[in-house]
Amino acid sequence: MSEMWINMGPQHPMTHGLWNLRVRIDGETVLDVDPEMGYLHRGIEKISEDRHYNEVITLMDRTCYVAGLAWEHLYIIAAEKALRIQPPERADYLRMMCEEFQRIGSHLMWYAAFVQDIGLMSPFLYGMRDRDLVLDLFQSYTGARMTYEYMRVGGVRNDLPPGFTDQARKVLDWLIPRFKEYDQLCLGSDIFHKRCDHLGVLSASDCIRHGVTGPMLRSAGVKRDLRKNRPYSLYKDVDFDVAVADGADVTARYLVRMEEMRQSVRILRQVVDWLDAHPGPVMAETVPRWMGAPYAPVGREGYLLKRQYPKGVGFSSIEEPHGEAQAYVVNEGGEHPYRVKFRSPVFANLSAARTYLVGYHVADIPPIMGSVDVCVGECDR
Amino acid sequence: MLPADLEQALAPKLGARLVGVEPFEGMAGRVRFRREAALDLFRTVREDLGFTHLSMVGGIDWVDHREVFYVVWSDEANQYLVLSTDLPADDAHVESASGVWPSANWHERETWEMVDVTFDHHPDLRHLLVPDGYVFHPLLRSFKLHEPEELEVKSRHV
Repeated sequence: MSEMWINMGPQHPMTHGLWNLRVRIDGETVLDVDPEMGYLHRGIEKISEDRHYNEVITLMDRTCYVAGLAWEHLYIIAAEKALRIQPPERADYLRMMCEEFQRIGSHLMWYAAFVQDIGLMSPFLYGMRDRDLVLDLFQSYTGARMTYEYMRVGGVRNDLPPGFTDQARKVLDWLIPRFKEYDQLCLGSDIFHKRCDHLGVLSASDCIRHGVTGPMLRSAGVKRDLRKNRPYSLYKDVDFDVAVADGADVTARYLVRMEEMRQSVRILRQVVDWLDAHPGPVMAETVPRWMGAPYAPVGREGYLLKRQYPKGVGFSSIEEPHGEAQAYVVNEGGEHPYRVKFRSPVFANLSAARTYLVGYHVADIPPIMGSVDVCVGECDR
Repeated sequence: MLPADLEQALAPKLGARLVGVEPFEGMAGRVRFRREAALDLFRTVREDLGFTHLSMVGGIDWVDHREVFYVVWSDEANQYLVLSTDLPADDAHVESASGVWPSANWHERETWEMVDVTFDHHPDLRHLLVPDGYVFHPLLRSFKLHEPEELEVKSRHV
């Protein structure tokens, strides 16, 4: 049969977002691929240049809508370094709690979407059901289920409501047996193994050549997790293991993400205990009131006051649910950042698509791309 | 690895093409280089110093000149390093890093369309995030969010 190019997307069940995978095929075999991105490009880096430091947080929730708090955390660390502000310890613990709950929420969303791609319907319902418990927790202390706007330069917006930690423990106790259930549903299914084993293999050296990070890199046996390698916030104070697998295929990525959720529960138990035992301020005192206040009591005029900060560049990198995210914030002394640059892990993971798709069959593309965990919002920014 | 160690390792290979090594919070340092040194520097940093992983490439428009920066990572040293070069605004081009780190490919495509910096010998310099034929470079300071009409008159492409 002659070769041809086909479009998988921008409207295709495999894409989970708006993007287009152009595929050159010969019969059923994939010869070449060319991802076309940009359908969700909103110019977040450009808009950030026109906004006050705290106003950028709103954009961070929308950068990745399944891991909003992780992106807030990334930006906040860089902005605080650029402005030389130190948050209080309790705020750092609250941020870690946000990030780990967000990791569970994001991985459950991935799990639900991914297993549906390979033809198992009921795990989708289980995954979404349990993700809702995490969203309920977010709602109880941030007020929102998706776009939280919880973190602030210098701390977080508010402390936890009474009774939150007990509720959080209940959710964690509920989740641990659920992970076993997920494993039984997937690893016990012949369909799962037939559609996932030995597919989308990307070796450790290829991962590093193409800048692939996160669960995809760890599924190739590389033990690299920024929470361990270069601990940010207070990750050096909590005890956990880095999830690795060595198949480098779709099944290995599934195993890594499942283990990561278990480790997140382990971290969260320690963090919640710490929060119970150490009340304190959640906002640094050195932050001007107009900057850190939850409802901006000084009004719009307050934001327009000319305030000078020492110039500087802030760089941060965190282990976001999809991989290694980085922010580069240039502060030129004004109330807006001069330039904000984000590195999206999905962007780098997708740029290597040719290496893990070529040679497989067209029907293998949905499980392979599912295992990459594409979030188009953060890729296109 | 400290800025002084980096300077010691890089100076003999690059000579006057190395502008200097500065300290940078959270990183091994910031290497400033002239664009003629680009390929030699990339190879030295990757092969001799062990920075095997290129995380991102970005550009900054400083109005009178443009800056391109590269963030690289070494597993052995467990450290980041930022490389940066200043380019004249009317002739902004630098050698592509994608021959040394293939991961630079998409990052350079993005920088090219957003900040109008050309990467010489790039294998595939096409639009990535904005449509083909889009004549503006949104991350230049001259691209104003609130005055799109004015922009059309000022753009050098129109």
